[in-house]
Amino acid sequence: MALPLGSEASTLGAEAEVRHQGASWPQYLGRKAGGAAISLAMVVLLGFFAFRMLPGDPVRSLSTGRQVSAEQLELLRRQYGLDQPLPAQFWRYLTDLLQGDLGLSYTFNRPVGSLILERLGPTLLLTGSAAVISLLLGLWLGQRAAWRRGSAFDRGQTGLALVFWSVPTFWVGLLLLLIFGGGLRWFPTGGMVTAGSDDTGFGYLFDVARHLVLPLVTMVAVVYAQYLMVMRASLIEEMSSDYLTTARAKGLREAEVRRKHAVPNALLPTVTLVFLTLGGLIGGAVTVETVFSWPGLGYLTFTALSTPDLPLLQGTFVVFSGIVILMNFCAELAYRVLDPRLRTG
Amino acid sequence: MAARPMIGQHSPNRAALRFTRRFAAVLLGVGLASAPLALAAPLAIAADTPNNLKIAMTGDIDSLNPFTAITASASKVLALQYQNLVAFGPEDNTPVPGMADKWETSPDGKVWTFNLPEGRKWSDGEPITANDAAWTFNAIKANDALKTANGTLLESVAGVVAKDPQTLVITLTAAQAPNPGTQLPILPEHIWSKVSDPATFANDKDSVGSGPFTVGSYDKSAGVTMKANPNYWQGKAKVDGVIWVPYKTGDAAVQALKTGEVDIVSRLTPAQYEALKGEAGITTNAGMGTRYVGLGINPGTKTQSGELMGDTNPALQDLNVRKAIVMAVDNKTLLEKVLQGLGQPGTGEVPAAYPDYALPAQGLGLSFDPAAANKLLDENGYAKGPDGIRLDKTGKPLQLRLLGRSTDATAQQMADYIKPWLKDIGIELTVSMKANLQVNDDLGAANYDLAFTGWGMAPDPDYQLSINQCSALPTQSDGTGGVSENGLCLPEFDALYKQQHVELDQQKRSALVQQAQKLIYDAAVNNVIYYPNMLEAYRSDRFGGFVTQPAQNGVISEQNGPWGIYSATPVDSAGATAGFNWAWLVIPAVVVVLALAGFFWFRSRRSSVDDRA
Repeated sequence: MALPLGSEASTLGAEAEVRHQGASWPQYLGRKAGGAAISLAMVVLLGFFAFRMLPGDPVRSLSTGRQVSAEQLELLRRQYGLDQPLPAQFWRYLTDLLQGDLGLSYTFNRPVGSLILERLGPTLLLTGSAAVISLLLGLWLGQRAAWRRGSAFDRGQTGLALVFWSVPTFWVGLLLLLIFGGGLRWFPTGGMVTAGSDDTGFGYLFDVARHLVLPLVTMVAVVYAQYLMVMRASLIEEMSSDYLTTARAKGLREAEVRRKHAVPNALLPTVTLVFLTLGGLIGGAVTVETVFSWPGLGYLTFTALSTPDLPLLQGTFVVFSGIVILMNFCAELAYRVLDPRLRTG
Repeated sequence: MAARPMIGQHSPNRAALRFTRRFAAVLLGVGLASAPLALAAPLAIAADTPNNLKIAMTGDIDSLNPFTAITASASKVLALQYQNLVAFGPEDNTPVPGMADKWETSPDGKVWTFNLPEGRKWSDGEPITANDAAWTFNAIKANDALKTANGTLLESVAGVVAKDPQTLVITLTAAQAPNPGTQLPILPEHIWSKVSDPATFANDKDSVGSGPFTVGSYDKSAGVTMKANPNYWQGKAKVDGVIWVPYKTGDAAVQALKTGEVDIVSRLTPAQYEALKGEAGITTNAGMGTRYVGLGINPGTKTQSGELMGDTNPALQDLNVRKAIVMAVDNKTLLEKVLQGLGQPGTGEVPAAYPDYALPAQGLGLSFDPAAANKLLDENGYAKGPDGIRLDKTGKPLQLRLLGRSTDATAQQMADYIKPWLKDIGIELTVSMKANLQVNDDLGAANYDLAFTGWGMAPDPDYQLSINQCSALPTQSDGTGGVSENGLCLPEFDALYKQQHVELDQQKRSALVQQAQKLIYDAAVNNVIYYPNMLEAYRSDRFGGFVTQPAQNGVISEQNGPWGIYSATPVDSAGATAGFNWAWLVIPAVVVVLALAGFFWFRSRRSSVDDRA
């Protein structure tokens, strides 16, 4: 039923892949890496031109409400290179990028690369742990629900997951913040560490963990449904297979039939989805990071959009897209490793 | 139940039982694990040094380098760290001694001489001299990369010299009344002259300043930690330090004030302000704001060469139509209903918080009067069509657009009132709320009829008036090359601007500034609706004694100067418990959780064995 688009597409991809079965690892790798490289090149091109179609003059919005003269605005335009014709700006962007230079942010007056790097950690911590937990939770609940399709457990869990999936992230986050932050005061209301604290070692870790709880719960609540649904759907498909009857006939307990035979096969289409959503999760963190004042990449992108801070936008776009492309690449590899049919002719 | 497959049927009860058991285990585990967190949260607050004032900071810090920092948050931090030669006083926003204790102006108004008193020191103990000021001015003049934040301030400065360690002489290109020492933060030469590239110097660790607090450290997640400067010339602050706590949304900051994670929150919405009013230990303050909110009416903006810009309705070039629109809008109702009365009624662009220059309400002439507005339009040949909408001079119905920012909640509310009011005078209004950037573009290129506008004003009105001169109009038809506020070009306004710019007598200058504002008012290009109060709230159970600016009905945290934060006084030191040791809570909790986990694991193992048997 509610299979997310991505997983269907990649299941199709896997079928097409069967035609290439038997290709050697280097050939396979080369083809996939080539594809990824082409995608990345497209991203680089798109990143430059797409953001220049945005409304808004960076110089004007950066000087909004400040006492600036027309001369000052001209000076800023020159400093940002915005007085140059578009092809010249593009050439500079390309040559800088080839040297690993993502440019200088208009807003922060600092290299985009270092701005992204210092926010990558918090974002990976949040999205990484959210991914692991929602994955475990989703897959576990999904296979349980499928095994007892139609039961109260199935309907309850599926319904609950879909409810969480449908409500706006912002709303869930704010609600949790109001109840567990401002109301019960169990958890801090925002940030990654207590402001002004100079804890180190264990104290620091504990402080971060305390701050992580609410954003993590919010993120898990809104994303685990997709893992649950995919796992449930693919396990239901497997449940009619003959090999399960065989397994049962061997005298295996029901739990073992599920764990050792049905689930491993049902996991296959799920793997692709997992990698795809991992890439998307980082971009999806924008709202959660905003609600809980998490100092990550999502919020940085949001800030960049409001200027628009073109170098910063280009940088985050390339990085986000790069992660998605990399994850797709990993999915292709993982698929080949997991599914022996793709290796043996 | 009919849909249940055969497969799982023979052991549903056992499975359900096992699930319930595991679920209970997980719940218990999570509960136990979070118990110490729950206990620790309030304790964590008590464990902090009570003498640090924690301020919620909802904007971004772009940089703490005063040459390049432009965001409001960064400016507020830096305003505590660096002094200007001359400050704006807490009493009434007029110039008072800052780094200089006295100054004088040459009779022609071109040469300003500042005296920096002997014996004052930077936070690191080095003496403050005129050389520091001269270095700061000249560094900006000499290097375009340092002009980002304050370059505009120096466009009228011809030269700056330190005559001796105590005397600074600023020579201007032309006479001016606004004090040239009021807005530029002065930096310590002995630190900055040794920096290889002042434009990229982060300046975010153990900074040296002359203000009441200096930055100890900055981290984008832990915020800005500032220490009280023992050498501040008015005396060390009563709090040990200030911590700026970053929040991305105002709602989160309000929650943090309730939990005590921060001590003061500003820029509240009226709803947040009302909600905080009854809270124990919290005091709210609605101080006079320094910002106006207005309804801009595009008079047909032209470039400097006289080319008409944008797609404005030509009917608005008629002064009588603009006047009728101003008279049709009931500013008092908007203040009462939209702002819930939390503001002052608007007159001219200078807010009531700056009484020296604010335009008095008497005799303004365009106050709310729909009958007079209708009469004016009738008399000038805008006859009503059959549907009640007036026709313009070409026979087309008078239809106008109103532009607002989708991020501004009050804009849509005001539009809901204004639309029927304009209908009452026979003008059809289409409201469109757009994204910030699109609004900026539309305003810049004059692609609007009516638009909500607003400006935060500095204590000296010179700049605001200057951007209403003909010379502020754009040079290009796309809006570049200009900074015009209202698209206005009146020779008599330009004359008044120049007069007030050089008038050294305060009373005479005030009168000229008011006359200039009256010209903008009479041109009906900007109907100033109100000056919203700055809404803030603080933990009065922890801090008090705040000095407001102005003294009557003033603000604490959004001042022109450091006074509010500097005056913070701890209420008592009851919360000063000894440092709390996390280990006492966490280690037992971890042990309990591990023990429980082991227990349930063992149980589930045993039940598996039972199953197998």
